[in-house]
Amino acid sequence: MNGAAVVGTVSETGAPSADDPRRGVLEVNDVVVEFDTDGGRITAVDGVSLHLATGETLGLVGESGCGKSTLARAIMQLVPMQRGSVRLEDTDLGTLPRRELRRMRHRIQMVFQDPRGSLDPRMSVSTLIGEPLRVHSIGDRTSRARAVAEAMELVGLPTAVADRLPSELSGGQQQRVGIARAIVTDPAVLVCDEPVSALDVSIQAQIINVLDELRDELDLAMLFIAHDLSVVRHLSDRVAVMYLGQIVETGTASEVFSEPRHPYTQGLITSVPRADAASAARLQTARRLVLGELPSLLDPPSGCRYRTRCPYADDECAATEPPPEAVDHADGLHSLRCHHWRDIAARSEAQPSSNSQEQAQ
Amino acid sequence: MSALPLLEVDDLRVTFNTASGPVHAVDGVSFTMEPGASLGVVGESGSGKSVTARALLRLFAITDDVRVAGSVHFDGVDLLRVDERRLRHVRGGQIGMIFQDPLTSLNPLMAVGEQIAESLRLHRGMGRAEAASEAVELLARVGIADPEKRATELPSSFSGGMRQRVMISLAIACRPRLLIADEPTTALDVTVQAEILLLLDELRRSEGMALMLITHDFGVVAATCEDVQVMYAGKLVEKASMAHLFDRANHPYTEGLLRLVPRFEDAHTGRLHPIPGQPPITGGGGSSCAFAPRCDHAFDRCRAEVPPEVAVGPEHLSACWLAAERARDTIEAGRPWKRDR
Ligand SMILES: Nc1ncnc2c1ncn2[C@@H]1O[C@H](COP(=O)(O)OP(=O)(O)O)[C@@H](O)[C@H]1O
Ligand SMILES: Nc1ncnc2c1ncn2[C@@H]1O[C@H](COP(=O)(O)OP(=O)(O)O)[C@@H](O)[C@H]1O
Ligand code: SF4
Ligand code: SF4
Ligand SMILES: [Mg+2]
Ligand SMILES: [Mg+2]
Repeated sequence: MNGAAVVGTVSETGAPSADDPRRGVLEVNDVVVEFDTDGGRITAVDGVSLHLATGETLGLVGESGCGKSTLARAIMQLVPMQRGSVRLEDTDLGTLPRRELRRMRHRIQMVFQDPRGSLDPRMSVSTLIGEPLRVHSIGDRTSRARAVAEAMELVGLPTAVADRLPSELSGGQQQRVGIARAIVTDPAVLVCDEPVSALDVSIQAQIINVLDELRDELDLAMLFIAHDLSVVRHLSDRVAVMYLGQIVETGTASEVFSEPRHPYTQGLITSVPRADAASAARLQTARRLVLGELPSLLDPPSGCRYRTRCPYADDECAATEPPPEAVDHADGLHSLRCHHWRDIAARSEAQPSSNSQEQAQ
Repeated sequence: MSALPLLEVDDLRVTFNTASGPVHAVDGVSFTMEPGASLGVVGESGSGKSVTARALLRLFAITDDVRVAGSVHFDGVDLLRVDERRLRHVRGGQIGMIFQDPLTSLNPLMAVGEQIAESLRLHRGMGRAEAASEAVELLARVGIADPEKRATELPSSFSGGMRQRVMISLAIACRPRLLIADEPTTALDVTVQAEILLLLDELRRSEGMALMLITHDFGVVAATCEDVQVMYAGKLVEKASMAHLFDRANHPYTEGLLRLVPRFEDAHTGRLHPIPGQPPITGGGGSSCAFAPRCDHAFDRCRAEVPPEVAVGPEHLSACWLAAERARDTIEAGRPWKRDR
């Protein structure tokens, strides 16, 4: 891992310090996950740090294969980390003995993309939702039944479906069961990995509203992974943009999405087709900002990982990995990794076209 | 307008007989496409978009118990009434098709160059050598780097986006006059989607072929199509130019679809507005407006009579009992579906 020592402590800037009352319920520090594949060893997550406060949603975006799910699974302690730490409410999950880790699990839960695949087809809805409580030995029969009923109500499942099997539910209802299972243990953190990607548009909107309401009602901290940038913008307070295992830009959703500084973020955002008259022209711009294909993790580019697709790449980009830099701004949360972002910003101000998204209409 | 449209679909009806009764998947669909036109078809899943596309070429599984009625004139010939041999010539020849999942239509055991060459020999009568070199040309044409080498590889060695390009090169190999693309980018990353959409647009312009693009995303239509039609429960409920639709969506279902998705350019303001309920699983075939159970504006007449298509603007049709009234309101109030968001 080229330059890992320098980059090791890269984090989203603005992580509250230990005595800050706003301190995150979840703090992920310098996580590295490697896999052995047929072609050799790959680093799927390469020194990622992030934090989440109560009631806050962090959106994680990036093309498929960039490491979003692996990061989520590392946070859940479902894949081994080569390096780094995951702290949940001041407990370091990575160093916990198995049994205690199991006990912590109910405080951090996950919602998956494929609701059907993650539900046992032989269990009824109420059994499925109560299962995490039984697994974690939380409460007694009566209190569990009450918690199940509450969770069903929170996610908008009618009591009439309690005895049904997953196959007797619509796709939207199945995902509601998936979410109910995740919240029934009263978690502090919800990790959602593409929770609406497999659903039809009208059902997506319902599920997004459910998540939105739950976050407010239960004061959840949410890590929300999706490849639909409009959905991420709608739900997230902050966002992190991932590229080949690293976070290349992060900040508040409004900052990053209305004034993206990293060429990759600019390209991603410009690629989103919008229902307006400038749609076709915008895609032409997108093609200039994101050239060609994602490189293989087996042979990641030297220096800046984005350089093989970046229209602004030069020798410096090939030679040195850009360190994270803060964009000077009142909120202090916006940071990115690009050698030339100041020049690029200056250039596009002089000639507004590529990343002045809102003007394109 | 030219004398003969390229495609003229008249009162197309497709009914499946299923164990739980008839499904009226396409329920009286009529539209035309001029040569070189670009038409987006939008609707929730289950509204009948794919079945409409398949019906044009009578592409049904042998196991389907299906009845097709109406007419589909392509270049003046009714495809619903020609024999299977003639139809095979049209499929993959004059009309090309691409699907969401290219793997379902590519042979996994055959090098992609060979598959394209095979189609060229079949439809364009090329010899072996000529077809092989044209296949390489085509792969280059759709933006595949190192096409000589890639032509010898199996579909499985291509990434999702590249595989879709292979599919496109196969579909355009015989210079079709109409390309039907059914959710061609739904499974792809936005960056790859942008490239595929640009490619389709470029091919349409350079080859002069017409494009019918099925999607659930109005953004995708806006980027590639001049015209759009919205489908619900087997019927076309609204037809317009895309430019016109931005400002003047008329049908309550279209309005619902436009309001339902978060728009990228909007900051987060409040909750989304899902359309309550879901499309009828039996499709159309009723004697009322099929959207009535989900429509905020429904009144007695909607539940008693099927609303006819009404002209609400230049080349703009809406099948709603309130169409005329809503058209007036739209002009007065601006984009109704953009209010209160
Ligand atoms: N269990 C695994 N073994 C080997 N490689 C893996 C494994 N899981 C993921 N990968 C690889 O790690 C990279 C990141 O994958 P993933 O986290 O699923 O990306 P994303 O969720 O962003 O699409 C990909 O190259 C993927 O092939
Ligand atoms: N082979 C089939 N047998 C029975 N019903 C079918 C078949 N194919 C599609 N349908 C039904 O026809 C309706 C329209 O389907 P489809 O055209 O695939 O919708 P869309 O493409 O708009 O999502 C749906 O109700 C679907 O269940
Ligand atoms: S560091 Fe260089 S290659 Fe990387 S994003 Fe910035 S300009 Fe592009
Ligand atoms: S005809 Fe009636 S029910 Fe149908 S869309 Fe119009 S107002 Fe709604
Ligand atoms: Mg993933
Ligand atoms: Mg379909």
